[in-house]
Amino acid sequence: MRVSAGKNMTIFLQLAYSGVALGMIYAVIAFGYQLTYATSETLNFGQGDALMLGGLVGLTLVGMGVSYWLMIPLVCLFGMAQGAVVERVAVRPAIQARSEFGWIMATIALGIIFRNMAENIWGRDALHFPSPVSETPLSVLGANILPMELLVVAGALLIMGAIELFNRTSIYGKAVVATSGDRDAAGLMGINTKLVITFSYALSSLTAAFAGVLVAPLTLTGASMGAVLGLKAFAVAIVGGLNSGLGAIVGGLLLGVIETTTGFYLSTGYKDVPGLILLLLVLTVRPAGLFGKTAIKKV
Amino acid sequence: MTFHKTCLALAITLSLAATAQAADTIKIGVSGPFTGGSSSMGVSMRDGVRLAAQDINAKGGVLGRQIELVERDDEAKNERGVQIAQELINREQVVATLGFINTGVALASTRFYQNAGIPAIANVATGSVVTQQFLPPKYEHNYVFRMSAADNIQAPMIAAEAITKRGFKKVAIMADSTNYGQLGREDMEKALDKLGVKPVAVEKFNIGDVDMTAQLLRAKEAGAEALLTYGIGPELAQLANGMAKLGWKVPLIGSWTLAMANFIDTARANGDGALMPQTFIQNPNTPKRKAFIDAYVKAFKPKNDRIESAVSAAQGYDSVLLLAAAIEQAGDTKGADIRAALENLKKPVEGVIMTYKAPYSTTDHETIDGPGLVYMGEVSKGRVIFAHPEDAQRSVANAGQSAQ
Repeated sequence: MRVSAGKNMTIFLQLAYSGVALGMIYAVIAFGYQLTYATSETLNFGQGDALMLGGLVGLTLVGMGVSYWLMIPLVCLFGMAQGAVVERVAVRPAIQARSEFGWIMATIALGIIFRNMAENIWGRDALHFPSPVSETPLSVLGANILPMELLVVAGALLIMGAIELFNRTSIYGKAVVATSGDRDAAGLMGINTKLVITFSYALSSLTAAFAGVLVAPLTLTGASMGAVLGLKAFAVAIVGGLNSGLGAIVGGLLLGVIETTTGFYLSTGYKDVPGLILLLLVLTVRPAGLFGKTAIKKV
Repeated sequence: MTFHKTCLALAITLSLAATAQAADTIKIGVSGPFTGGSSSMGVSMRDGVRLAAQDINAKGGVLGRQIELVERDDEAKNERGVQIAQELINREQVVATLGFINTGVALASTRFYQNAGIPAIANVATGSVVTQQFLPPKYEHNYVFRMSAADNIQAPMIAAEAITKRGFKKVAIMADSTNYGQLGREDMEKALDKLGVKPVAVEKFNIGDVDMTAQLLRAKEAGAEALLTYGIGPELAQLANGMAKLGWKVPLIGSWTLAMANFIDTARANGDGALMPQTFIQNPNTPKRKAFIDAYVKAFKPKNDRIESAVSAAQGYDSVLLLAAAIEQAGDTKGADIRAALENLKKPVEGVIMTYKAPYSTTDHETIDGPGLVYMGEVSKGRVIFAHPEDAQRSVANAGQSAQ
């Protein structure tokens, strides 16, 4: 394609903007994976479905007349409740039964159940989520960006920042960090580790539900909106490192931008490939993730 | 003595039961996606089929027996379609199956019906090869029939609209990665080639993709004046919305799926003006069509009184009429006899789309044989209307005419 350098830059910027917005969604979901991994070394493989439920509940609330901004805390509360349910029903029994990987199947199964429930309650079709901000694109440095995409980036950074702040300043946050560091020692120090794990699942689903209402106006809200996002965000969590919040952001941005740029510069048929190649590369060269800490287990 | 009386009573009851069995139902399979992104087509087709079955049963059924529909959701997945085909043939023992919305599912399932010698009428799937898999002389008989406008008719219509009618010289093809999208793309490239035009860009997207920036930018940089599409509602809506975001709006002309309710509702204003071939437009321009539309809206109460996929509903309805006519003519429910009857229908069948006069033959298993029976639809303010006024008149004429 013969285009001038200026035009090239505009095209790249346009792709980058889309990639960044998408990447921040991946980052928030990946962050959610990390929250539960930190305290319990388990993940909620139904994270994508938690996002989907958040988006659909948000759609219903907005449809009932609740303003978008008021709806957000309500959906966050719903997310916390959903996360607690996942932990109680799927994860705790598996941990108590000392099953190594039972929680994997349990969270996947619960995710499928949630998806079927959603199909029955909200129908099977993809629905339109009204945008809370103007839908006219803004022109930044020559390329277009939707106000909603800016909201996604801001919202994602906000929620991750808020949770990090909570972890560092409040006493409950310190309990979470202590449990992440050494679960047994924390228990011995009087921290109710079971409650902490439930709480981390609640927080994880909160971030997923929040991501759901952030991404919903940009895409289609429906029972199957979470599946692909959840899977890609898992790859982002691995690439960034399962214990680094910064890694989630970097990994998410990396995957988002690589997807959009490959689609343009290489071929749209191969859009998904580079992300997966990145995953394989990271697992080969730095299995703990780009920002992860290599854990050495003493036997 | 009482023992003999009991035996006699038992024998009479059993023989009565046996005769009651003889008046049992005719099982017809209905296979389509009732969940997922294609569900608006599947559900509309199923509801059209249900309406026709109700109408026929109310008038006494077929061969004095009531029609019993055995419905199964194939979720637009090829492997599900295969499972359902096997279940319908072996366990439910249907006499024929109607349905198949997705080309991939149609291709995967029809093989089983062909092998079992049971007719399968694809009433929505448009992939051209669906009815051409089992042609004589390689196969003795072809058991796969179709009610919709195949892609090798739609693609030339799309090309003609873009190149000939509207005079575009540079067009880009946007197709999804399913069997439907890719086979449709091939048909599209062939149709454009016949008009001496090569597309400036050919782009692909997956089901579930939300960001179309890369595809749209490539088409834009290549100088495309129109986008020719082969996909389904949700992703097509993302294309329309993506164009609005980039501030680059060119006409969307594509396959019939641009009429899907989930495209129209999600793209909203960005979808207005999209053009697509349609065998049926929700416009009560004949008494039979008005009766069908009113009955459908009354029975299934679609949102805004708009049939979600009017083409699927009408084709579903007509497929039952054709099948019932064939069974009546055959006089029994054996697969081979129904097939022979379908290939040689003696009485005209007044359907919603047109009046069918000998629509099939041993070599032709399509009801739509040319663009004369298809009209260009246009999305306007949330509904599909006739794009060209002369098409509306042609559709009334076709209601009284035969299918060639």
